[in-house]
This record gives sequence, structure tokens and C-alpha cells, in this order.
Amino acid sequence: MRSTVNDRGDRSSPSVPFDPVSLLNPSTNSSSDRQVVLHVEQLARTYAGAEHPAINDISFTLNRGECLGLVGESGCGKSTLARCLLRIEDVDHGSIQLDGQDIARLDGRRLRPHRRKIQIVFQNPSAALNPKLTIGASLIDPYEQLGRDAKLAHFTYTSKEAYIRQLLEAVELPSELANRYPHELSGGQRQRVTIARAIGIEPDVVVLDEPTASLDVISQGAVLQLLTDLRTSLGLSYLFISHDLAAVHRMSQRIIVMQSGKIVDRFDADALFAEERHPYTKELISIF
Amino acid sequence: MILSIEDLSILSQERTIVDSVSLAVREGEFMALVGQSGSGKSLLSQAIGQLLPPNLRASGRVLFEGSNLLERKPKEMRALRGRDISYIFQDYQGAFTPFRSIGGHFDEYQKVHGEKSAAIRKKRAAEALESVGLSPELLRRYPFQLSGGQLQRASIATSLMLSPRLLIADEATTALDSMSAHRVMELLARKQAETGCAILFITHDWRHVRRYANRLSVMKEGRIVESGGKHRILDHPQHEYTRQLIEAAPVLSNELKSGLKEVGAE
Repeated sequence: MRSTVNDRGDRSSPSVPFDPVSLLNPSTNSSSDRQVVLHVEQLARTYAGAEHPAINDISFTLNRGECLGLVGESGCGKSTLARCLLRIEDVDHGSIQLDGQDIARLDGRRLRPHRRKIQIVFQNPSAALNPKLTIGASLIDPYEQLGRDAKLAHFTYTSKEAYIRQLLEAVELPSELANRYPHELSGGQRQRVTIARAIGIEPDVVVLDEPTASLDVISQGAVLQLLTDLRTSLGLSYLFISHDLAAVHRMSQRIIVMQSGKIVDRFDADALFAEERHPYTKELISIF
Repeated sequence: MILSIEDLSILSQERTIVDSVSLAVREGEFMALVGQSGSGKSLLSQAIGQLLPPNLRASGRVLFEGSNLLERKPKEMRALRGRDISYIFQDYQGAFTPFRSIGGHFDEYQKVHGEKSAAIRKKRAAEALESVGLSPELLRRYPFQLSGGQLQRASIATSLMLSPRLLIADEATTALDSMSAHRVMELLARKQAETGCAILFITHDWRHVRRYANRLSVMKEGRIVESGGKHRILDHPQHEYTRQLIEAAPVLSNELKSGLKEVGAE
């Protein structure tokens, strides 16, 4: 699968520079030419009427081509953070540098050009797809809304049908599904569709908010593998959010740990079992 | 042998959903039933207590302490459920009536099982909540005021209140995050040690199987493909499907799948 998408991407867009070096080892701290695609600083959000902030003083960077894992239990603020990054939740304080531009305060028309650059995959694919739209219509929608002016490097838009076929192929689904409705698909297939929809306009950052939590164990493994294949073949950058430390460890080069709205630990994935880990991280490790 | 399922099939009008399954749960053990969604494991657990939806029919035998539960009258089953066999379900929201307080649930549960003294019911309800690490103050609260983990603990407290001999937990931790799931599992294990009840634990989470189960059965498309001791199955699965299931689940350590250390390792 990896090679087919690469072949297609290279054939269809020879003019787009592809920098394999930045993909080689994104977690190496010493590399000076790594590219920061998302830089979040001191982000904070308190819900109206709440005693404590949902998230507070959140700072991190995401490098191009990297998967950054974010672990924490229910209520720790992971999903609030995801929603703030997408700007579907208001930000009280801090900055979100996306591809060099702070989008934390942009609104309406000024935010719109940046919407394509960050996309999200939610936990529940049944709720994420419009039940009245065919799979094909759901897949074409982001392109029509946000992708028309973008230069796509891997997918090519010659016709609706051809574009949809490429997306379905990328997530290893048969092209016949284009004319089906969400209720005719299994949970795993539906989640593949929402992944295809998120990557089809080639965003700089994909936020994966518990993308496998509603799937059974076999589909979980397959979807995680697909996500990793897509990241390497398309050069995507992920913020992978989950309470499942084992899945995060398998997927990510670096990991940050959140507790009660704050980042309490951050480390290279290789250093998960190191002695200097935060007590809360150690507690999380102990339950797996 | 506290529960012995022999040749159990579950049929709808059109097809056989569970096909001649045999399974035994021993006195006081933690027995896991593992399988993907749609494998029929939940229906199997519902058939034990005559909880199948009306369009499904069960054939075969479900022997509980020697007598076939499939032949019992609905009234007898109502008395037996809760007292001898109780359930914990995945959907902890659906396990509580939204407009009734937590205390109201505990009270009704004891009333239908014949406890006439309101004072005793109240005292037992408070004890039951405390035994799962929740404050008796929660008795006055309504389900929506509790977190998912708290609700699932409260439902464990009700299930165990009348000291059943068999507890059936159907994906009891699936809807919880891993920390809350861990606390619920620790609680179940502790309560099992205290009461000696047998647990039939239905799950697709190997983490819990690895840590708590004595034996397990693997189910696929309505049939049991493999049964045996935990260590044997996790480290030496015989069936290809079992191997796939085990491989699909991400694990954190480089130990053997069952958690045992490899011979010769430090």
C-alpha cells in the first residue's frame, strides 16, 4: 500500500519537493534542520462557570512527519486541547502557530484559509459521518469546501470519481463503497472513511482523537497500522490522542502526558521506562 | 462446576447466531470469554439468565448448580437473577433509570428480592456503596451526577449486594478509560477474593485477561475456537484466530503475552 500511494504521489506531482530526510528520524533532538509544523505556547481554556481551567499552560511542538502521542485519562483536557487546536473551541490565552501563522485569534474569513491545514479524526465514526450522505459525497465535501485552491502533492483531482477512488484506495477500502451510506459499513470501515476524509486535502497536521476507542481489537490493530503507513507514505504529522498508553507507545516518536489540564511529563518514546518518569506516567505504565 | 453450558445454540428466524457452544465455569474462578464484536459472546451471556430479546431462541442446556436454566419459568428466573446470578453490563448509563436516585435503585433491588425492613435496606445500601469505595452521600445523587467509573462501581455494588454465586460481566470496562477500567478491575478482583463468587468476564481487552483470568475461551462467529488455561493460550495459542487476536492488541512490555518471564531471561 505504501508504495502505490508513493508512486502515485510522485508521478502526479513531480514539481512538489519531497524531503525524505526530515522523515527519517523526526524524534532526534540533535537534528537542526527538522521542521516544526505546529508550535503551541501557553494555551489555556476555562469553560464558563467552571472552577478550574480545562487546559492550562499547554506548550509543545510537533515536527513535520512526526507522530506525537498525548496520553491522559478521561477529563484531563485532551479533547478540549484538540478542539482548541482545530479552533472549534475558543482559546482564552496562548498561541497556536500552524505552519508559521498564529491561528489562535483568527476568526471567520481570516481563519478559513488555515482550516485545510489542520484536520481531525474523532472517536466515534458513526457520529462523524452524515447519515444522509453517501460515502463518496462525504469524501468530496472537504475538497469542495477547503481544498480547491490547495496544491495537492499526493492526491490528484481530475474528476470527483477519480479523487474519491484514490482516497478509498489510500485507506484500503473497495471503490464500490463510494455509493453506499454510512449505516451499510462496519465501524472499522467507517473510521477508515473519516481518516480518508481528513487526509484527502493533505493537511499539515492531523489530530487523531481516540481514533480506535470505539473499534474492537482486530479493527483497532488494523487502523493503527493503516495510520502509520499513511504517515510515512504521505509525510503526515499526527497528534495522536489516547488513554491507551500501549497504542500511543506503538504509534509515536515522542509522548506527552496530561493530568488535570496540564502537561506533567514529556519524553522520547524510547525513554518511556526510564527512571526519571513522572510518578503519574509510572502509574499509567503499571496498569498495562 | 458452578455453570455448565452444553451445546447451546441461539437462533433467530433466519440463522444460527451461536452454534453448539459448550463452556464451563468452575466454582470461584475468573473465566474470560474473548472475541470480536459480533462473535455472539454477549448473546451467550444473555441466554444464561433468559435475557435474550424475544425474537431469539436458545436451545441446548445451561446447567447452573445442576439444573437447566433454559427450562425455568420467567418468575423463577426473576428471583434467581440478582440473588444467584447477577450481571454487570457495558452500558452503565442504561443500567440506571435516569430519574431515580442511586439510593432508589439500591432500595428497589432489595425490595424485589424480599427485604421488608426499610432500615435494613438503607443500611445495606450504604455499606454496599462504601465497599466499592464510594461515599454513601452518593445515594442521594442521580445517575447523571456521577462519572462513568463511579456509575460502573455503583452497578458492581448492586450486583454483589445479595452475594450471588456467579457474576456475569459483559464488557464491563469497555466504555471506561484505561485508568477507570483499571480501578474497576481491581475492585472486581478484590470483591471476588472476599466473596468467592465465580466471574464470567466477557471482553476483548487482553490486558484484563492477562492480569485477572484463570482460564479463557475464544469465540469467533458463534463458535468457541479454543479454550484452556490463560498461560497456555496467551503464550501458545493453537488456533490461528486466537493468534491474530493476541497480535492485534498493542502491549507495552517485551515479556511473554501472558506476563510470565521467558525462561532464561533475567
